[in-house]
Amino acid sequence: MGRRGNHDKGWFQLDNAAMMYSAIQSGTYSAVYRFSAVMAREVDPQALQRAIDRTMPRFPGFHVKIRKGVFWYYFEPDDAPGPFLQPDIQNPCQPVYFQNKDQLIRFFYYNHRISMEVFHALADGAGALVLFKTLLAVYLRELGEEIPNQEGILDVDQAPDPQEWEDAYARYTRRRVRLGRSEGKAYPCTGTPEPFYTLNVTMGFVSVQALRQVAKGHGASITEYLAAVLIQSILARQRREGRRRELPVALAIPINLRPYFPSPTLRNFILTVRPAIDPELGDYTLEEIIAQVHHHMRLHITRQEMQGVITRNVFFQRFLPLQLIPVPVKNFVVDTAYRLTGNRPYSTTYTNPGAFRVPREMEPHIRHMEVVLGQSYTPRVNCASISYGDTMEITFAGTVKETDVERDFFRTLVKDGLHVKVTSNRRE
Amino acid sequence: MSYCVNCGVELDPDARRCPLCHTPVVNPACPVDESIPPNFPEQRREVEPVNRREAAVLLSALYGVVGACCVLLNLLFWRDGMPWSMIVAGACAMLWVWTVLPLLLRSAHSILLLGLDLLAVAGLLWLIAAAVDGLNWLGRLALPIWWGCSVVLLFLWYILPRRSILSRCMLVLGSCVALMLWLEGCIDLFLGGYQPRWSLVVAVVGVALMLPLLIIRYRPDLRREVRRRFHF
Repeated sequence: MGRRGNHDKGWFQLDNAAMMYSAIQSGTYSAVYRFSAVMAREVDPQALQRAIDRTMPRFPGFHVKIRKGVFWYYFEPDDAPGPFLQPDIQNPCQPVYFQNKDQLIRFFYYNHRISMEVFHALADGAGALVLFKTLLAVYLRELGEEIPNQEGILDVDQAPDPQEWEDAYARYTRRRVRLGRSEGKAYPCTGTPEPFYTLNVTMGFVSVQALRQVAKGHGASITEYLAAVLIQSILARQRREGRRRELPVALAIPINLRPYFPSPTLRNFILTVRPAIDPELGDYTLEEIIAQVHHHMRLHITRQEMQGVITRNVFFQRFLPLQLIPVPVKNFVVDTAYRLTGNRPYSTTYTNPGAFRVPREMEPHIRHMEVVLGQSYTPRVNCASISYGDTMEITFAGTVKETDVERDFFRTLVKDGLHVKVTSNRRE
Repeated sequence: MSYCVNCGVELDPDARRCPLCHTPVVNPACPVDESIPPNFPEQRREVEPVNRREAAVLLSALYGVVGACCVLLNLLFWRDGMPWSMIVAGACAMLWVWTVLPLLLRSAHSILLLGLDLLAVAGLLWLIAAAVDGLNWLGRLALPIWWGCSVVLLFLWYILPRRSILSRCMLVLGSCVALMLWLEGCIDLFLGGYQPRWSLVVAVVGVALMLPLLIIRYRPDLRREVRRRFHF
């Protein structure tokens, strides 16, 4: 905890990433993501609500309200009852409005699917998955199953550990080196916007074993291979547009920092890397794109470089003249800066929280996992993937009408010999 | 199970079309199964949007107080002379239209809001003219200039999005030329007779700049040649 005393007083500061997500959250941008588990049996809403009620006290950092201070937003424990389970909706990851006292975490159910939506200021994917995994275990226990507290499942009968709410960015910041980052504009990959409050979700399911074999055949990891195929799909889209000068295609890939900087925190602790391909240099084959992505990620995901970026980010947060700017002005500046520098250098986002591992006793009860990212500022699709057992689920979600990016993406997987099953919430 | 003939992906048993390429599913061996529940819920929900009425009420109160105070001061202390408070109240009303209406009419098309903004400007001009007894210059000078500016602004607002950079430059240049010609015409007619001078210089320069753009825009061969010669 950055300032543990604050937590004792009943409030705590937002971490570095949370400050940005809070400032840029608006009706046209949703810093909300969703994890879903598709269960073997139909969901019992009463048992699930009981499980939520038992689990949430163990995770006080998720049951908070966001409040506007003079200079910063801050979190305050939410004493109101809830969160309450709701029937699922067709358009997930709706934006959070602080003014309406909207819940920062939401739970849904639909047939076999249990979904949890989290505002990104609360936690990153790795932190949220700990809560979700624990919730699923408690839910299965409510149904009479014996589930041990293994594979990252926390004991809900234990008191919350304050270490789980530490601001890990503050812990790993250094004094001197601050890495600057000035990245050029990337191809925006925008399309025709859908009417307000629409989120088109297309999911593809692939065998993890087969995918690993194919990725290995290309000399890359699964994440690198999927990122490269996504870049290739966006490059093809840009080529079809017939632009006079083609822009680089760059992805924002969030990296979980916990393996590099040990921390038990469940809050945000991520940075992004930006593999990019510049088509002005010439046409790239898939092999070459994979090689570029592979080497870029290996080159830039280093402790030293990431610590420099953390130091730079936290420096802005602690710089006194910036601290003294009132929060509405700060929001405006951060929002504008994000539109200019946060959004522009990336064509889209691709995130892969990795494999969702559960104790052996839980495995027969979960069919597969799903992940959905909320809408971007601009009408474009974001990509996310998560694996469970032998099923890799890849989601394209966005407020764009066209389906060409995901179409080319999945067609490439099919061409590489993978069996892909596709489903979507798009209305015909 | 059905597969898309174009994409090669397996589809849901209840899918009527491929979600990727929209190819209809026609599989006599495995017809679309509509009896199973859909994979995603049908119900949509919209989170209640941010209540902008508070901001609208606050701004309305601000403008209202400023306008009302000026009118009161005008009535109580400076009764003689020009009713200057009308101009301040009119400016407040114009600012209200500019800032509060977009908050209240969120779903209105931007061109409608721009039209209302321009009407508010015309209203303020009329108030100023009425306050300073200048209906003569209002009818013969201010309103024609306002009309010309409004037409050009609305035209550009409507036409510019989703045009290429060359087309945008041409349209902005052409609009500027038309506006300058109109402006000098209005001023000349107000002062006496129409004798175009400086606007013609602007028009010649504008057209001279537009012509190469027009040729480059519509002649791909020339565009390529220019690019090759200039190495960009």
